[in-house]
Amino acid sequence: MPRRTWGWKMFTGSRTKKGKAMREITYREAVHEAILEEMRRDSRVILMGEDVGPFGGLTGVTIGLIDEFGADRVLETPISECGFVGAAVGAALKGMRPILELGLADVILVAMDQIVNTAAKMNYFYNGRASVPLVCRVWSGFRPSGGPQQSQSNEAMFAHVPGLKVVMPSTPYDVKGLLKASIRDDNPVIFFEPKGVYSLEGPVPDEDYVVELGIAEVKREGRDVTVIALGAMVPLALAAADKLAQDISVEVVDPRTIRPLDVATLVKSVKKTGRAVIVHEANTTGGVGGEIAAVLADDAFASLRAPIKRIGAMETPIPVSPALGSAVVPGESNIVDTVRALIQDTSPS
Amino acid sequence: MSLSPEDLVEMYRKLLLIRCFEEVAFRLAQEGKFANYHGGLGQEAIPVGVCHGLASSDMTMITHRGLGVLIARGVTVKAVMAGLYAKAPSPTLGRTPIYHMAEPSLGILAGTSMVGSGIPLATGAALATKLTRRNDVTISFFGDGAVNRGDFHEGLNLAAVWNLPIVFFCENNFYAKSMPLAKSTAGGSILARAYGYGIPGRLVDGNDVVAVLKATQEAVLRARGGEGPTLIECETYRWTPHSTAGDREFARTAEELAEWKARCPVKRLQKRLLEKGHATREQLKKLDQGIKAEVQEAVAFAETAPYAAADVGLENVYR
Amino acid sequence: MSVMTYSEALNEAHRMAMRDDERVFVIGQDIGQYGGIYRVTEGLLAEFGKARVLDTPISEAAVTGASVGAALLGCRPILEIGFVDFVGTCWDQIVNQAAKYRYVSGGRASVPMVIRTACGAGLNYGVHHSQSLEAWFAHTPGLKVVMPATPADAKGLLLSAVEDDDPVVFFEHKLLYAMKEEVPEGKALVPLGKAKVRRRGKDVTIVAWSRAVHWALSAAEAVAAEDIDCEVIDLRTLVPFDETAVVDAVQRTGRLIVCHEACLTGGFGGEIIARIMERAFDWLDAPPVRVAAPDIPVPSSPPLEAIYLRPQTTLTDAIRTVVVSERH
Repeated sequence: MPRRTWGWKMFTGSRTKKGKAMREITYREAVHEAILEEMRRDSRVILMGEDVGPFGGLTGVTIGLIDEFGADRVLETPISECGFVGAAVGAALKGMRPILELGLADVILVAMDQIVNTAAKMNYFYNGRASVPLVCRVWSGFRPSGGPQQSQSNEAMFAHVPGLKVVMPSTPYDVKGLLKASIRDDNPVIFFEPKGVYSLEGPVPDEDYVVELGIAEVKREGRDVTVIALGAMVPLALAAADKLAQDISVEVVDPRTIRPLDVATLVKSVKKTGRAVIVHEANTTGGVGGEIAAVLADDAFASLRAPIKRIGAMETPIPVSPALGSAVVPGESNIVDTVRALIQDTSPS
Repeated sequence: MSLSPEDLVEMYRKLLLIRCFEEVAFRLAQEGKFANYHGGLGQEAIPVGVCHGLASSDMTMITHRGLGVLIARGVTVKAVMAGLYAKAPSPTLGRTPIYHMAEPSLGILAGTSMVGSGIPLATGAALATKLTRRNDVTISFFGDGAVNRGDFHEGLNLAAVWNLPIVFFCENNFYAKSMPLAKSTAGGSILARAYGYGIPGRLVDGNDVVAVLKATQEAVLRARGGEGPTLIECETYRWTPHSTAGDREFARTAEELAEWKARCPVKRLQKRLLEKGHATREQLKKLDQGIKAEVQEAVAFAETAPYAAADVGLENVYR
Repeated sequence: MSVMTYSEALNEAHRMAMRDDERVFVIGQDIGQYGGIYRVTEGLLAEFGKARVLDTPISEAAVTGASVGAALLGCRPILEIGFVDFVGTCWDQIVNQAAKYRYVSGGRASVPMVIRTACGAGLNYGVHHSQSLEAWFAHTPGLKVVMPATPADAKGLLLSAVEDDDPVVFFEHKLLYAMKEEVPEGKALVPLGKAKVRRRGKDVTIVAWSRAVHWALSAAEAVAAEDIDCEVIDLRTLVPFDETAVVDAVQRTGRLIVCHEACLTGGFGGEIIARIMERAFDWLDAPPVRVAAPDIPVPSSPPLEAIYLRPQTTLTDAIRTVVVSERH
């Protein structure tokens, strides 16, 4: 698989027990490995989606899977999202564990009824006797030239639905661990793979591991301000933190799971720093940033020394021209500017 | 498979049970005892005929009008009535409408309220059967209103392309809520759509319980034998409005209703039983009385049962 | 002024809009001969005929898409989706098509349609007939979101929505249809994007919309006896959001409660709290609070549905707590 490092390398300083540097793979490769390993581990895991067979899937992560597992476990579907999402729910209730490749996050909306009214609620109907161990994978967010119907990051809609879990990993380590955990989870998980981090390289252990859902990670420690970043905004937040490091100590927290949100970790960080900036790719109004700000207002209000700031895409669809697109979605400079202004404007305690 | 007199009497008993249940439930709903009821009065031959042709491991996906299927498959009228009253003994604990209930031991899949959205779910159940090499068959029930939804098209197409063990069963009562079939469905024929998917289609008198049974058996045999899906269109008629929540009738006339009442599925089987000497009037009368008592008992049970405790509403959101 | 119900007010707005502009047509399931589940479109078929009152099959995706297509070519459809719970079946058409056409056409095309839909619990209708999903729509640039709480606003806002050249999603709470009040006669438009102060007060601001406005007013009455003076703001429009009205109120009272029927997590209340935390942080004398449904599907039986509708009974306690809370 071609490797492209798009701007950023992630070093967390992880080493194996023997002291050797951990191998580095891309986010894309990490997704592939997670699917492969879980399909080997559990014969109930099946893969469904358009072009997931020999073509290898929209993002190339299913290459080779049909050769290893056969057409009974790698099911290529027609363009029939309502149909195959519904079918996956029905199959899940009968004991299968489907991983669905839904393609662009924009497209998952076609199957919204099946996800929200059936997948999310079936455990409730079955009184817990059967559930829907389904993972819906989507390729989300901005990349240049994607345009309005290929660039959406609609996690907030799913985060509002009881019964669903929503995950958005930002690193190769996180995506492999979280995808494995999601596949092993007995609930429907909407799994966002942001385009902006797809080619990122990072250390990933050889051995089997999971990253539990519902646990945020402090990606960088700091004292003066907490930047809570989702998905493709995480590397931007880390780059911004680097830039500001001379005079401002920035803590970067990655929720990793959007629903259930690890409120405790977010609150702990904001209680420490007293300032919060939330950044996500989705447009600000109605985005996940609102929920995060509200829970911080609930639990960390007394510690706040300044207003909570949100940075999201502008209130427009995402334009197709690369220049306009980059102007609409948040960038590293937005984060730098917002943090600087926040530090300067801090209200007296 | 030939039908014994015992089979016919048993089918009659079920017809009568569902008939009585539907009459009582409709009346109770009109009296405001529970919210919105989608009655299946007049359509009893379908749940009875279909379910008589199934093994207990075969699966059914119903619609909001499918309580007859629940009863035909062995859910007690007490449980279904408690379900209508949304009381604690309801299989759904009063959390969701009774037509959402699931009972794996009876092959009952949980349904959805969205018209047509259950079709892909049923396709999925059949997919699981095929992938795990079991030999059960799935019956996907839906009404004429569903056949213009995208989910109908996608569900049938998928099942046909993957050659799944499923029977798509359309209860065509000629009206969605107020929309007549003639105005909503291009091509005029639901059955004809089967040909578009390369699967066989059958048109059946939905008020002839034996005809329904025979068509079901044929389709189930095909499915179990690995020959894939069938679309069965059963013509029938509901004697009550779409639902009790403020329903007005416009398109349907008294004459049309009378015509269909004359084709009452219960009366038709009764006639056959008496003519062939499979049962006497006395026996049928006794059966009727017993059933009325059973349903009344179910009402009393449901009325006096408690509601589930409030905390129950918070449970089972996640596994 | 004449006294009429919320659904009658909507009916009147339809008639006025359709008489004034022949491009306006009504489309949806059971809206013609049947007059609509909630009788909002009663009599329209008789007055305007089949070409302008279109009964459809159960084909939400196609019907919504067709309405968008017609709107792009100059028509002004009013589409009825009987229950907002059903919107998943045509969600792609709304978000990917209706909301985006003005933008992608560089402003040369627009989608002047109104999508009317009923939301809300309280009738024991259960999981798929009781949800409140306005947060999804509010998150979609290109859509406007309106949620009138009274008959007069229902009429005035629907008239404005029809005249708006952008797609407006118009939410009607099922339990409000029978609400009666005096409604101005004639074409009494209510502008989109303007909140209304329903009750002036000095101790705490309660921001609400749709049915929750009435819960807020009841709660305000209940605590008035305890010398707590609540201000109740009826947002009326969620998008565009009348930020000025809310900020202004918070500056005056220093305390904020947002009350909505939809589930807490991811509800529009988060957006309002976030805005206030950004724009009015220094005026807050206490942490702002949300009062909303628990994160569960809507249960059916009366006592279970009541826990979903907990804002109705817990709002007074929230008020009592907020008025004595402090910043630190």
